[in-house]
Amino acid sequence: MANRTNYKQIGEDLWKGRTEKINAELFAFTYGALVVQLIQDYEDCGEVNRQLERMGYSIGTRLIEDFLARSNLGRCNDFREVGEVVSKIGFKSFLNITPSITHTAALPPPPGAAAPAPSQTRPGAGASFVLTLEENPLAEFVEMPEEAVDGGLWWSNVLCGVLRGALEMVQMQVEAVFLSDVLRGDESTEIRVTLKRYLEEEVPAGED
Amino acid sequence: MANRASLTPSLQAPTVTSTSTPSTTSLLTPALLSLSSPPQAQVDIHALEYLLIEASRTLADSARVAQARRDKAEAEMRGAGWLPTQGGKEETGGARALSKLKEPLRDEVERARRARAEEEEEVAVRLRLENIGLHVGGNLAEKLCRDRTRFADPLDSVKFLCKEIWPAIWDKQVDNLRTNHRGVYVLQDAAFRPLVRLSSPFGSAEAAKRAKLHLAFPCGVIRGALARLGLHGTVTAEVTTLPQCTFQIKIPKNT
Repeated sequence: MANRTNYKQIGEDLWKGRTEKINAELFAFTYGALVVQLIQDYEDCGEVNRQLERMGYSIGTRLIEDFLARSNLGRCNDFREVGEVVSKIGFKSFLNITPSITHTAALPPPPGAAAPAPSQTRPGAGASFVLTLEENPLAEFVEMPEEAVDGGLWWSNVLCGVLRGALEMVQMQVEAVFLSDVLRGDESTEIRVTLKRYLEEEVPAGED
Repeated sequence: MANRASLTPSLQAPTVTSTSTPSTTSLLTPALLSLSSPPQAQVDIHALEYLLIEASRTLADSARVAQARRDKAEAEMRGAGWLPTQGGKEETGGARALSKLKEPLRDEVERARRARAEEEEEVAVRLRLENIGLHVGGNLAEKLCRDRTRFADPLDSVKFLCKEIWPAIWDKQVDNLRTNHRGVYVLQDAAFRPLVRLSSPFGSAEAAKRAKLHLAFPCGVIRGALARLGLHGTVTAEVTTLPQCTFQIKIPKNT
């Protein structure tokens, strides 16, 4: 589709236009040292996962402004387009990787269910996409010890937080979780992003 | 034939004339050499910057949790009688004395205690940020020094730090390096990247004070890089006026 090639080209142009780049290994060293410190402090992989996600959420809320300012893209028409922009332009312009993407449309509501509330009738809620990261700059030189694998640590969980934070700032409440990770011995590294609902334009509650 | 080749001066590469095993360095073309070093992946510098900004808050929380766990373990050991309880007695005595104080005095003591707790927390975060910097600086120095000869002089190591390590992380070289040739080096950066966009609603003096936390990671990088090169010393950082800052390195002579 013509749109798809455009995204790839936009992503490439954005990356080439970046003049300030650093070695990916440096980024991996820093992130790695940070995760190790968190594991030492919390001693609980589940908690570390939560902290990484929370940190990613804060980063995502800042990152999206940077991204929108640079890329000058308009609103996405549907969640499918969101996925394309995220994988081909978002990841490309910050991490210089282009994860491959698999879309899943929203499931129709089961027959006989009660009429959904107005905020849920927007088409697309429940849609999801899965990003498959062939390369992961956060995981360079990383080998997870048995305790971390058994404890359920997702090394790159910060990415899930970034996705959640960034998309929330553009009025989408999503859930991003890791499905598999080569660091844990799985075949591939996959993140699933599911749209929960579209957010109304209002002051977000709870943060203050 | 061998004799003729060695007598005629020529601009061509000397042909192998002896019957011993020929050197194979001529087989290493530049194209082949580039294959042996893997391509350098890159990321946007902002990714690292956002990570470090958020890291201080995350580490503050994790430091608090770790400290709470240590305090709890200590309290349990005291309760079980493995640690002397003098500390505990002081605390309970203090609490009783506190309740006898008048309101304003009590507030002051509370404030002092809170300030001390905040200071301890800040120290814990600085320590963690510095440790990350140590790790990063050491590995980066190792990577960048791969094909070089060893540095003869500590000054050369510091110059390498200013000219190669600094740009690798912050995209510019150190602006000014001064030394007294007796182990003290002062690095000055007129527009240090982490400080460039910092400001505080409480004025520039307050901003300069709070900016010190952002210098913990760079201090660690300096210390880690120099340590990997064999120089062990101390590093302190000062913010004069944002975004200028100086780093003072002291390397004792006996290393």
